[in-house]
Amino acid sequence: MAHVSTLIVILPLLGYLLVLINGSRLTERQIGYVATGVVGLSFVASVVTFVLLLHRHSRQVTVHLFNWIDVGTLHVPAALLIDPLSITMCLFVTGISALIHLYSIGYMHGEKDYKKFFLYLNLFVFSMLTLVLANNLVLTFVGWEGVGVCSYWLVSYYFDRDSASSAGKKAFIYNRVGDVGLLLAMFLLFSRTGTLTYVGVFARAGSLSPTVATLVVLALLLAATGKSAQIPLFNWLPDAMEGPTPVSALIHAATMVTAGVYLLVRMSPVLAISSSGRLTIAIIGGVTAFVAATIATSQKDIKKVLAFSTVSQIGYMVLAVGVGAYAAAIFLMVSHAFFKALLFLGSGSVIHALNGEQDLRKMGALQRFLPLTFPTFLIGWLTISGVPPFAGFWSKGDVLTNVFEHNKILWVLGVVTAILTAYYMSRLFVLTFRGTERFREVTHGHDPHESPWVMTLPLVVLAVLSVLGGLLDLPWIHHDSLAGFLSSTFGYVAPLHAQSTLSQYGLAAVDVAAALIGLAAAISIWRSRTEDERLTPAFLEHVWYWDDFYDATIGRPLEELAVFSDVVVEDEVIDGGVMGLAVGISRSAESVRKIQSGFVRHYALAMMLGTAVLVVFLVARVS
Amino acid sequence: MDQYLPILGLLLLGVLFASGSLVASAWLAPHKRPTDAKLAPYECGIVPESEPPQRFPVRFYLVAMIFVIFDIEVVFMYPFAVVFRQLHVFGLIEILTFSLTVFAALVFLVSEGALQWGPVKYLTPGMPERTSSSTIVRIGRDDPEQAA
Amino acid sequence: MTTVPVVSSSITIPSIHYLAILPVIILLGASVVLVFATALVRTKVTQFVASSVTVAASVAVLVVTYFQWRCLDSSGPSTTIAHAIVLDGFSVVATGVVAVSLLMATLVAHDWALRERIVGAEYQILALAASAGAVLMTQANDLVVIFLGLEILSLGLYVLVAFDRHRHTSAEAALKYFLLGGFASAIFIYGAALVYGATGSTNLSTMSYFLASNVLTHPGLLYAGFALLIVGFSFKIAAVPFHLWSPDVYEGAPTPVTGFMASIVKVGAFAAFVRVLISALGTQIDTWRPILWVLVVLTTVVGASVALLQRNAKRMLAYSSINHAGFILLGIWAGTTRGVASTLFYIVTYAPTVVATFAVVTLVGGLGDENHSIGGYRGLARRQPWLGASMCVLLLSQLGAPLTSGFYAKYSVLASTIDVGGSPLALIALLSAAIAACFYLRWSSALYSDEPVEATRIVVPLSTGIVIGVGVAMTLVFGIWPGPLVTLCQHATLLFTP
Repeated sequence: MAHVSTLIVILPLLGYLLVLINGSRLTERQIGYVATGVVGLSFVASVVTFVLLLHRHSRQVTVHLFNWIDVGTLHVPAALLIDPLSITMCLFVTGISALIHLYSIGYMHGEKDYKKFFLYLNLFVFSMLTLVLANNLVLTFVGWEGVGVCSYWLVSYYFDRDSASSAGKKAFIYNRVGDVGLLLAMFLLFSRTGTLTYVGVFARAGSLSPTVATLVVLALLLAATGKSAQIPLFNWLPDAMEGPTPVSALIHAATMVTAGVYLLVRMSPVLAISSSGRLTIAIIGGVTAFVAATIATSQKDIKKVLAFSTVSQIGYMVLAVGVGAYAAAIFLMVSHAFFKALLFLGSGSVIHALNGEQDLRKMGALQRFLPLTFPTFLIGWLTISGVPPFAGFWSKGDVLTNVFEHNKILWVLGVVTAILTAYYMSRLFVLTFRGTERFREVTHGHDPHESPWVMTLPLVVLAVLSVLGGLLDLPWIHHDSLAGFLSSTFGYVAPLHAQSTLSQYGLAAVDVAAALIGLAAAISIWRSRTEDERLTPAFLEHVWYWDDFYDATIGRPLEELAVFSDVVVEDEVIDGGVMGLAVGISRSAESVRKIQSGFVRHYALAMMLGTAVLVVFLVARVS
Repeated sequence: MDQYLPILGLLLLGVLFASGSLVASAWLAPHKRPTDAKLAPYECGIVPESEPPQRFPVRFYLVAMIFVIFDIEVVFMYPFAVVFRQLHVFGLIEILTFSLTVFAALVFLVSEGALQWGPVKYLTPGMPERTSSSTIVRIGRDDPEQAA
Repeated sequence: MTTVPVVSSSITIPSIHYLAILPVIILLGASVVLVFATALVRTKVTQFVASSVTVAASVAVLVVTYFQWRCLDSSGPSTTIAHAIVLDGFSVVATGVVAVSLLMATLVAHDWALRERIVGAEYQILALAASAGAVLMTQANDLVVIFLGLEILSLGLYVLVAFDRHRHTSAEAALKYFLLGGFASAIFIYGAALVYGATGSTNLSTMSYFLASNVLTHPGLLYAGFALLIVGFSFKIAAVPFHLWSPDVYEGAPTPVTGFMASIVKVGAFAAFVRVLISALGTQIDTWRPILWVLVVLTTVVGASVALLQRNAKRMLAYSSINHAGFILLGIWAGTTRGVASTLFYIVTYAPTVVATFAVVTLVGGLGDENHSIGGYRGLARRQPWLGASMCVLLLSQLGAPLTSGFYAKYSVLASTIDVGGSPLALIALLSAAIAACFYLRWSSALYSDEPVEATRIVVPLSTGIVIGVGVAMTLVFGIWPGPLVTLCQHATLLFTP
């Protein structure tokens, strides 16, 4: 098992190195298949590890690779922690990655930096798996930074476009702000528990005072808001859509952005100690979900809508974590990975068909031309909207049921968000596939064409998964479900007061109603129009003026400070100080140099004086 | 301690004398503030282009060195001669090596002309490219290059 | 040539371990051979022949040091010729450094002599003799032998400094060096006499044994004696305030000679200094430490700060070498095994670096050896990237930049100082290094300056190029991977006989 689980991580790295070293000798196709192959094999290794884990009595295995850091009391091994949570993450990360690699072979065909794309993609998978499988926070941090930097490279993949390179920088900087949180959490934990392995920290979590625990949780939350695009660090994600669409699907929808949620779930034993910390998490998640959903209703770019939808859905997951429904969060994460990847890849297929056009106003009536994309997208749409019996209904329902028991206000917010979700997704769907043809201009009058099999195959697989994903965790199955499998890894959360079956059905009915209201409203409004100022207010379209707010409060003052430092501090204080010191030394050296007269008699005299001082000193010592 | 006091006194006296004379000369000497022009050798008002050659009567030193060589050799030869028999072959080899080394110095000195008195004979003629025809320009020629 | 005491009845001839004195024999022998060749061969000995003999001799010495090391490993350190000469790890490594310095300096001087049209083998004869003196100093276990080595070293150098006799600065420098050197020698021998008077022996081992087993009721004689010895050594290593000769001599001497003397004088003088202070007078450490403390402070600070004002490359390097001498003294100040090992490491890494640095200065100096203003280095690295980058590396190594040998050298002497509670001293030395960084960096950045300077391309002759390359390579290799050399130096110090 140790070997197989090591393979999960090593294989993508191997693929990276293989392409890096041999890249110039391989053809474009070969590069694509090598990169896809290693990730596929990694998925197989994950499945094997999963099966082996199922048959073990103890479902927590540490695979020690080597001692990484041994300094003083800090011992950081490079070791993997195989437990239900990490293996679940592994399965869907490698699985979806493999599909998206395959899709990319078709989508990226003919790009000039084809090799670079797959290099980064493989490196990303490696980093993500390191993050997930690490048995300590330091190694997780390595993966955390690794996915961050890969995301940066891939967002600014078309670096010759200004918008892409600045979007990459934006993503990176926002992430760095979040990273500070993770570092602070690590420092705090190390100073209080003296260890950074998960097992060690959890064993000593009980000794943490509530204040420290809350500080740790808030630091972790800061980290999570950066990586998982939550308020206040959420607005890098929509800009990150400048990257190629497979990247958006893999990194900015299915995997990397869930890392924050994963971290919070992983640290659940610490979360368990701090109820105020958890409440903060829940509020952040609920508010983010709502805000992002409102923004998504007014976007004109197909990928921007999906991006805000992602932010909103992750908000749900964070909300679930906040109320202690860790299994629900992971369930939603997995099913969201299925349907959001499906939607992104579907939109990629649409964009591909329309020669790169992303504006919703220039689409419409594509149903006829995209025989495979259309039905799969339809499934994705229904899934995210929460229509039974698709996966989204079950997972979102699971989250909302748990929230209902803990906090009614947040539950109302969640339901409103659910209505909004159904609304904006339906708007997207109607504007894209129904209505009148508005794309002739971009296709130069030609009919759009369906994508090749490497692109449609992942769509079909993901659509099937979206349909069946709900089976993972049906509410009436308790032990052999995902929640049962995962339960051993979570921190203890106060048990819910018993629910009546009736109230469960009632809540499910509310969910369905919310979905249908949203659906109906959107279809009735957007069937006949493509634009409406009243329904897409500028306030929402401009993301609540969030960027402008940051620019005014942080960006500009910092820039002014920088200018001030450059002109005043650097030139006058620092240079002045250094020059003053230098002049001082030169002056005193000048007086010493006077002795250097060039006359031997002076030199000899100096020597003699030195000797006399020495002898007198020593003789004085004697007496 | 007491018996070292004279040494210390002598030392201090020496230092005092040396520094005293330097200080006194600095005080008593008229301050003429030498400049580059004042320090330069007088050459009919023309700024000198190169340093004037310095006088080093090397020949006397060379003769003195020949003396030193024999001196040292003799200094070692006398004691050696006294205990010649006790030292056996080892002593002979030692003194021969020593003599050879010293002899090398003598040979070198002689080859450098230490024993040559009289006018200096230059082994290499100075400035062969300068001849009377190249240096003397006849006045009256219009253009030396054309004429050549 | 040994002086045999005259005893009327019988004479015991001391046993001689020829392997121990073989380096001196080789160097002096090569020198004598060249003297004969010069005297007896009708035509002038060419530079090629003279340099070849010198190179062969230094390579032979290196080979001998290898066998000496093997001998040491098997049978440990030993003394020979009535305990006047010692064969231990310290002497073997130091001898190796002298040989390497001689080898590198000869290659540089070869090209320099060709450039300056110097004929004859005199340079090489004197260099060989001076090296023999330095080797003798590293091996000496007797004050008289140290003095002998010191004089052989110095006499050779006096003449070498005057070698460029057409330049009056060269002659002036030689005269100054000679007068002050004679002065320092007199002080040294006076000190040796006083120490002999106090301990009854000039032999270092006997002295050490005597001081360890007796308590002097009147130590004044001993103290005065070793104060004078310290002055004698301080003159040789140019410690402030006995340094005044060094800038003038460094500037006046022909540049290859400057490089040569900067390296071998340091090796010889420091090796003997370590022996006298640590192995002979180790019991008196509390007495000589305060003296060294003041010497270190003055030497590092004055060396670094006055260097700031220099505009002449050779003078600047002279002050820089004064600053380095202060750092090397730190290791002796510590007085521990680690201190001695770090002193040795410092010497081993500094010697090739400084020879290579002066090799570049020789090239930049141009015909006549006159062009030594720092301004002449402006944009050198832009015009000739390899030469400029080499100079930059060598300067950075002297500055003590990480990844160069200078870094670990400085680090180890400072660490050994702090080990024995010398933090204030280490701090002062570090501050001086910070001041020194200023002029090294100014020089390095001048190498990369953009300003157009009308300069002719400097031709790098083969053997000088090799020396610069080897110097840079050693600097970088020992900088990035100092481990083996550190181990060697520690091992050498463990094989140190008191």
